[in-house]
Amino acid sequence: MIELRGVSKIFGQRWAVRDLDLTVPRGEIFGLLGHNGAGKSTSIGMMLGQVWPTAGELRICGHDITRDRAKALHRVGAIFETPVFYDYLSGWKNLEILSHYTAPTPAERIKKIVEWVGLTGRENDKVSKYSHGMRTRLALAQALLPDPELLILDEPSDGLDPEGIHEMRLTIQRLQKELGLTILLSSHLLNEVEQLCTRIAVVNQGRKVFEGTLAEAKQTKQWVRLHVGDFAKATASFQADKLITDTRNGALVALADGVKTDALVRRLVALDIPVFAISPEEETLESFYLNLMQDSRAAKPSTPA
Amino acid sequence: MFFLQLRSELAKLFGKKRTYIGFGVFLLAQNVMLLAFRYSNWSKGTAHLLDSNGYQASDFISALTVAVLMLIPQILLLMPLYVMLVGGDLVAKEAEDGTLRMILSRPISRFRLLLTKWLTGVIFAAILVVSLGAMALFFARCWFEWKGMFIFIPVPGGQTIFSVLDASEGLRLYALAHVVLAINACTMLSLAFMFSCFNMKPAAATILALSFLMLSVVMEGMPFFADWKEFAITHHFRAWILVFSKPMQMAQIAESLSVLVAVNVTAFVIGATHFHMRDIKS
Repeated sequence: MIELRGVSKIFGQRWAVRDLDLTVPRGEIFGLLGHNGAGKSTSIGMMLGQVWPTAGELRICGHDITRDRAKALHRVGAIFETPVFYDYLSGWKNLEILSHYTAPTPAERIKKIVEWVGLTGRENDKVSKYSHGMRTRLALAQALLPDPELLILDEPSDGLDPEGIHEMRLTIQRLQKELGLTILLSSHLLNEVEQLCTRIAVVNQGRKVFEGTLAEAKQTKQWVRLHVGDFAKATASFQADKLITDTRNGALVALADGVKTDALVRRLVALDIPVFAISPEEETLESFYLNLMQDSRAAKPSTPA
Repeated sequence: MFFLQLRSELAKLFGKKRTYIGFGVFLLAQNVMLLAFRYSNWSKGTAHLLDSNGYQASDFISALTVAVLMLIPQILLLMPLYVMLVGGDLVAKEAEDGTLRMILSRPISRFRLLLTKWLTGVIFAAILVVSLGAMALFFARCWFEWKGMFIFIPVPGGQTIFSVLDASEGLRLYALAHVVLAINACTMLSLAFMFSCFNMKPAAATILALSFLMLSVVMEGMPFFADWKEFAITHHFRAWILVFSKPMQMAQIAESLSVLVAVNVTAFVIGATHFHMRDIKS
């Protein structure tokens, strides 16, 4: 549904996105992760034909977005971080107006969508009277109006309370299950991404630093929690013997390929270091993400050549 | 589809309260001026002017004469302000609010979006001018009788339009002057619209467009630029006055209207070209 090949964007002297390749297959909920300013919104802007790429090719629903924007976006819906509308008009009028930018939409279709998002009874109120949650639902309604195959959600839970975030999560799941939509979800709420997405890509300083399934993200390193008499001595020995590749927080070690925990135990016994506990530690998306960011922190902000 | 989109743009524009500020201010200004005309020495001066030219003053101090006199300060001050306020808002306000991003996530082309917005502005400008003229005539009629029309307007550069017309001829020319005024208003709107297409705040677009007009007025008034006054846009805005000249200066009016239409097209093309190239970001 979404294919990006070597996409770059330069603003002035700053690379906002650099050589980005991305593939979002049909029917998936794909998470785009990265902190503020990482290049997520610029990438989404390029996918929607709002930001011109400096280089590269972007295909949305099989069409080149820069050359064939109308066809590419014909069945695409999008929500942005802060839902904004014409506050002085009713929710219904807003939907009617926005639908006219895609295709004439019968009132029945608008009514059905209003019901689906749970705004029935409030659709004729002015948007200025809507709560943030209701605005988010209206944003979802406008995104669903063109009967989309692809939904692009840019920080959809931004500004919502915990109940609103939960409701949004359930709605995204419903969208995929009931309507079979492909969803690109850009977020920095790792918990949300972990619960919703099947595949993720992580961007940092405009570059993609990871793309894969959630399971792959969690299996990049096999972490083991060690509770021993002298952690520093133990890890120094493990590293000398190439049994581990990394340590974290003075309690975790990452096993080298092919190494099992029994090898560590034998080494600890040989070193006469007391062992109180040793157990595999499951990698969370949060720990994976933080590690990834830590790895690329040393890299300086890039400027175009 | 195009008409649905145009209807949507009109609904957005006329759904906003600030769109009606101009109409409200015109209404107020016209009634204040009427009171001044009615209860000041203005009519004595006009009567003297008519008498000294051999006309019966009482036949020409009328609703039509007063309506035209009321138009002058409104056209010079209020109309550019309110038309440019709306023109500056058309694109820049949507960009500032973030609704432009939502629209441009849909398969509408940027050119088409701008065309519908510009046409909406043109419709607004035309409605404003027609309302302005109709209101002026209506309120003037409430206070003055329906008789012949007397026009005395000195034009910068030495020319003075002096005409004495019967009521039906006066009304016909009054209507025709409003067609020319509507083109003036569209041109002012197009200038503000052009700036609005650039990445700037709506107020900045309005101020830039107003500054452009001010610059034109200043340059036109300087003797150094006397030979190039045709290059000043404000020179061509005076075509509406020439409608009342006897005989009507058709060639000069046609020239001015051609220039104004060309300015409209140029402003739209510049705005649309920049808007097409720019990145729309939150």
